[in-house]
Amino acid sequence: MTHLHDSMEPKVMDDDMLKLAVREQGPREEAGQLAKQEGILFKDVLSLQLDFQNILRIDNLWQFENLRKLQLDNNIIERIEGLENLIHLVWLDLSFNNIEAIEGLNTLVNLEDLSLFNNRISKIDSLDSLVKLQVLSLGNNQISNMMNIIYLRRFKCLRTLSLSGNPIFEAEDYKMFICAYLPDLVYLDFRRISDHTKELAEAKHQFSIDELKHREYLMQARLEDEQARREELEKHKAAFVEHLNGSFLFDSMYTEDVEGKKLSYLPGVSELLEDKFVVICLNIFEYGLKQYEKRKIELDTFNECIQEAIQENQEQGKQRIVKFEEKYLLSLSTIREESEMPNIEKKIMECGEDITELFSVLMTLEIQLVEQLEETINLFERNIIDLVGLFIENCRDLENHHHEKLLEISINTLEKNVKGELDDDLPDDLFVDKDTIINAVGASHDIHLLKIDNREDELVTRINSWCAHLVDKIHKDETTRNRDRVKEISQYIDHMQSELDNLEYGDIID
Amino acid sequence: MEVLREKVEEEEEAEREEAAERAEREKAAWQVEVRLEETTLSPETLRELERKVSEIETPVLTGPPVITKDTIDISSLPLSYKTNTAKEEHLLQVADDFSRQYSHLCPDRVPLFLHPLNECEVPKFVSTTIRPTLMPYPDLYNWDGCAQFVADFLTVVPLPDPLKPPPSLYSSTTVLRYQKGNCFDFSTLLCSLLIGSGYDAYCVNGYGSRDLCHMDLTREVCPLTVKPKQLVKKQERVLPKKYAVKPPRDLSSRFEQEQELKRQQQIRDQEERRLREEEERLLEAEKPKPDPLHGLRVHCWVLVLSGKREVPETFFIDPFTARSYSTKDDNFLGIESLWNHKNYWINMQDCWNCCKDLIFDLGDPVRWEFMLLGTDKPNLSLIDDDDYELNDDDDLDNLGKEDEDKSFDMPHSWVEQIDISPEAFETRCPNGKKVIQYKRAKVEKWAPYLNSNGLVCRLTTYEDFECTKTLEVKEWFQNREDRLELKHVNKITGLNIDYFKPGHQQALRVHSYKSMQPEMDRVMEFYESIRVDGLIKREETPMTMTEYYQGRPDFLSYRHINFGPRVKKLALSSSDSKPVVKITERFLRNPAKPADEDIAERVFLVAEERIQLRYHCRDDHITASKREFLRRTEVDSKGNKIIMTPDMCLSFEVEPMEHTKRLLYQYQTMMQMKNEEKQSRHLAWESELEVLEILKLREEEEEAHTLTISIYDTRRNEKSKEYRETMERVMHEEHLRQVETQLDYLAPFLAQLPPGEKLTRWQAVRLKDECLSDFKQRLIDKANLIQARFEKETQELQKKQQWYQENQVTLTSEDEDQYLSYCSQAMFRIRILEQRLNRHKELAPLKYLALEEKLYKDPRLVELLKVFT
Repeated sequence: MTHLHDSMEPKVMDDDMLKLAVREQGPREEAGQLAKQEGILFKDVLSLQLDFQNILRIDNLWQFENLRKLQLDNNIIERIEGLENLIHLVWLDLSFNNIEAIEGLNTLVNLEDLSLFNNRISKIDSLDSLVKLQVLSLGNNQISNMMNIIYLRRFKCLRTLSLSGNPIFEAEDYKMFICAYLPDLVYLDFRRISDHTKELAEAKHQFSIDELKHREYLMQARLEDEQARREELEKHKAAFVEHLNGSFLFDSMYTEDVEGKKLSYLPGVSELLEDKFVVICLNIFEYGLKQYEKRKIELDTFNECIQEAIQENQEQGKQRIVKFEEKYLLSLSTIREESEMPNIEKKIMECGEDITELFSVLMTLEIQLVEQLEETINLFERNIIDLVGLFIENCRDLENHHHEKLLEISINTLEKNVKGELDDDLPDDLFVDKDTIINAVGASHDIHLLKIDNREDELVTRINSWCAHLVDKIHKDETTRNRDRVKEISQYIDHMQSELDNLEYGDIID
Repeated sequence: MEVLREKVEEEEEAEREEAAERAEREKAAWQVEVRLEETTLSPETLRELERKVSEIETPVLTGPPVITKDTIDISSLPLSYKTNTAKEEHLLQVADDFSRQYSHLCPDRVPLFLHPLNECEVPKFVSTTIRPTLMPYPDLYNWDGCAQFVADFLTVVPLPDPLKPPPSLYSSTTVLRYQKGNCFDFSTLLCSLLIGSGYDAYCVNGYGSRDLCHMDLTREVCPLTVKPKQLVKKQERVLPKKYAVKPPRDLSSRFEQEQELKRQQQIRDQEERRLREEEERLLEAEKPKPDPLHGLRVHCWVLVLSGKREVPETFFIDPFTARSYSTKDDNFLGIESLWNHKNYWINMQDCWNCCKDLIFDLGDPVRWEFMLLGTDKPNLSLIDDDDYELNDDDDLDNLGKEDEDKSFDMPHSWVEQIDISPEAFETRCPNGKKVIQYKRAKVEKWAPYLNSNGLVCRLTTYEDFECTKTLEVKEWFQNREDRLELKHVNKITGLNIDYFKPGHQQALRVHSYKSMQPEMDRVMEFYESIRVDGLIKREETPMTMTEYYQGRPDFLSYRHINFGPRVKKLALSSSDSKPVVKITERFLRNPAKPADEDIAERVFLVAEERIQLRYHCRDDHITASKREFLRRTEVDSKGNKIIMTPDMCLSFEVEPMEHTKRLLYQYQTMMQMKNEEKQSRHLAWESELEVLEILKLREEEEEAHTLTISIYDTRRNEKSKEYRETMERVMHEEHLRQVETQLDYLAPFLAQLPPGEKLTRWQAVRLKDECLSDFKQRLIDKANLIQARFEKETQELQKKQQWYQENQVTLTSEDEDQYLSYCSQAMFRIRILEQRLNRHKELAPLKYLALEEKLYKDPRLVELLKVFT
């Protein structure tokens, strides 16, 4: 084999080679003649065979977008490359090549059958994205580490595996190990695994497998947990009240506020503040969620109604068309049978009129729908803007309340301070005189207000932009729908008209 | 009143005369018969006579004679039937007192029906004639089942005097045995069954309409013909949704609409009036003649009070017809008294308005005069309203309990336990057959397995009141092997519809046809889950065939085949099928394919070589893609073969795509369609064959009409019976063999020894030897016997042969034959004897050894002989 390769020049995968292959493997006989006449586009090809071509480098395959099966066996390929565009590939054969590492297969998510038999691969990896993999052939390679098997556990569909001719094949435990770690496997090295073997293997490796399973389970649980948390945050974000169900805002208020921190050492201040603030935040949070549900219901009802209206309209249109087609067919056949020229012309005229009428009817229906929908959309828009406005107003109320509370507490503290009722173990530099304290409190208050205002601004902007976006999208969708429908109708009418014209023409010829 | 009485008397007079006349007529007929019997007659006249007699017997009502005393075998009846206990005597006295008081208080009312004579001429109180019994049949647990059974099981005998209660009331057991009775017998039996299964039921002695008393149903609509009323679906008022679109403005004139509506209303009104008039006319025609005895005919029926067994409302059951009536029904004209197994009540309410105003509150002593105080059922309604009120049970039960101790309670029923054998229960009607005449309908019922074709019920509907013109016939079948359940024949249109239960060989469900000939109008429906191809329905007319499918993996739902006229070709007479002209197939949406590639309908115009395809419509579109393939010319002007040209495929695409424009794609699609066409034609041919096959099968089934027998039916199932018998026989043989093996060889020898003593060793050995020698002797004797017989036979044969040789010349051929047959028989006997002898010689030593061994192992000898050996 190597002798053969040595004696031949490596070939380049160029256009000519591909064209030749496509033509040779294309349809035969009559269909083949047709194919020859028209030529075959690369993107229509579903399967391609390029074996024994002495190819060194995979290239020029980007045009075969719809390829399902690719055979590149018995070449001298050294690297897997240039296959990124073949995303529909199901069957890939790269056996009897000189490949050293598995790579470049990450986009082939539909791959079910992969053969890398007789190559120089020493490690199984980079196959993560091939979730549909069922058959994997890695015989006659350089795989020597048994741990590679554990990597294969992630392929839930894998049923057939071949690893004979690898260094690990020599290990005495080879078969048992694989059967134990890949319990879903049905065929190993082209032989069916008997149930008995499976049981034996399981018994033998039970301990280590249990441990592995446990670890996998933990991992899974963690992932799920994270997923759930992310989903919740997503939901809060959709309600525009993320991070309001705790003391996040409060904490952030004090992170940059040096004076405030000192102030908060005052007895009764921090508890008072924090508790009340958090309660208010929670209120906002709950209210936000509630409003979110409300908006969602509103949106769902709206969508449902719109869908219903459109469905109904479509049904009407379909009925019209069916009725028209029946009549049209009937009149066509009468025209064909008619022999008198004036009669034919009269009939054709009638048909033409029918078509025009259908057009106008369909268009009327469409316009009617457009009007109806527009009205509804406007209603919805008004409602949703109202809802958003209400939400914002309420939020603002709650926050104003909060302001007042804060102010009150600050002033209380100040008064207490002035009275000198405070203990001595407080930070001294702050309490030198009244002005300093007032300044400190004022600064702290300003910072807090700024924070709260920022948060408020954020909330308001986001919800407004969401609202605007939503309304915009609805309008745009409706416009697209309308244009599509008008296009469809006119296309259909054109077709009918041209068919009628053809008939006319044909008759005149006759 | 006076007038009425006169009238009654007249009627009675007339009736008496009629009876006398009837008697005379019967006598005459009898005389005729006697005379006929005396003279010897030719078979023809006999047959004629038979026919005449059978004609005479047809009227059902006069058919069965009353059970007369001499037909009842009273000797086998138990003692309670023939005598009265002291308690019963006491009860009769109480009843007499009660009756006297009653006649004193209400002199203008008829005497009470209290203690008629039973079959043994002993007076028995009516309440004790009721014997509450719960039957072991689940069908007899509910009132409708009981009533239907009673109505079916007994034959109606009219009352001896239609204006008076009968002088005697027989026990239910006797009634059941002879399967006939009057309305009192019916009611007593039904009441016994109902009380037995927990109903609050009463026998009612009262007055009924003529139809009721004569069980005349000819003015009633047959319950089988009444179609179940289709539940009117409540239209759910859907609340308009918040964003529902407003309907387009209606621009038509409202005035015009109103005018139109008015006009239609007028037409409808006229139509309705016409219909009503028609109906009235019909009703008038059907109205019965006025009954001169209206309100005087005595009848007995059953009253079921509400309360027990979840009966929501009090109602009557007519025992003759098993129908339930509201207490306000017109047929029930008045109530004298009612009773159950515990008490007897007299109605004190006025019956001027039939039973409509009666209040069935038996605890109210003003309305219902009871005979025995406080037996269990005084449920006085405490509300003084005239409204009909449900009784307040709790209070009343307490009331009853208080009184109970002081009262005299009803003695136990004198009637034996009511027993219905399973055979009788299954046969139901006397002789398993019953005919009921309804208004414009006739119902005939048979017991299962009575008819060889499994017919159990037939309903004939007539067009006219006299039942001469048949409209339609419905026949119900049971236990048929072909699972036929109902056969519906419309005599006017000639349409037959057969309904099948699941399990027919060809999964047939409904088969409607006018003739069993193929290629006629017919519809076959199938149980689709059984059929592999998912066929639900196949409709046929002479020129078309339509098939409906369901649940197929290729989503085919409909196939319509048009046939052309059969081409008369004598040479090709073998190919019998009609030529297919057009095949239309429709498919449901296959969600796995995009709409533009999912064919919704394909039409193969076979004759024109044209294929039309219509694709499914996309979700958001109103037009669907279409494609049409034509095959115009095979060869172009230059003589080159044309494979595919653009004009061979006309297509309209909703969204034009690049690859479908290509000839290659079109060609491939066309070839595929051609293949499909071939397959569809083949399927059409197969369907035709299948129809023929089903028709053939149906004909065979109709002819064979075999019945299936459940494996649980031990009485009818021959196979299981056979099996059971063989099992019994085997058991018996086994038993015999066991007895044989237990035969004691030593018994005769042990008998010689003094009983009760233990055997010595010497005795044991002797015993054994004796036994063995005896057996040996027996064997030898047997051998000798066989030998002797053998020799005798041989000698006889030799003698005969000798005789034959001597007289050979003089023998007739007959004698010779006799001789030859004798010879062969004798030879046979000799051979058999020889075989037996040989066999005996072979087996004798073995038998001897076997016995010896057996003796060694005998528990009585084993101890003593062990040492010896």
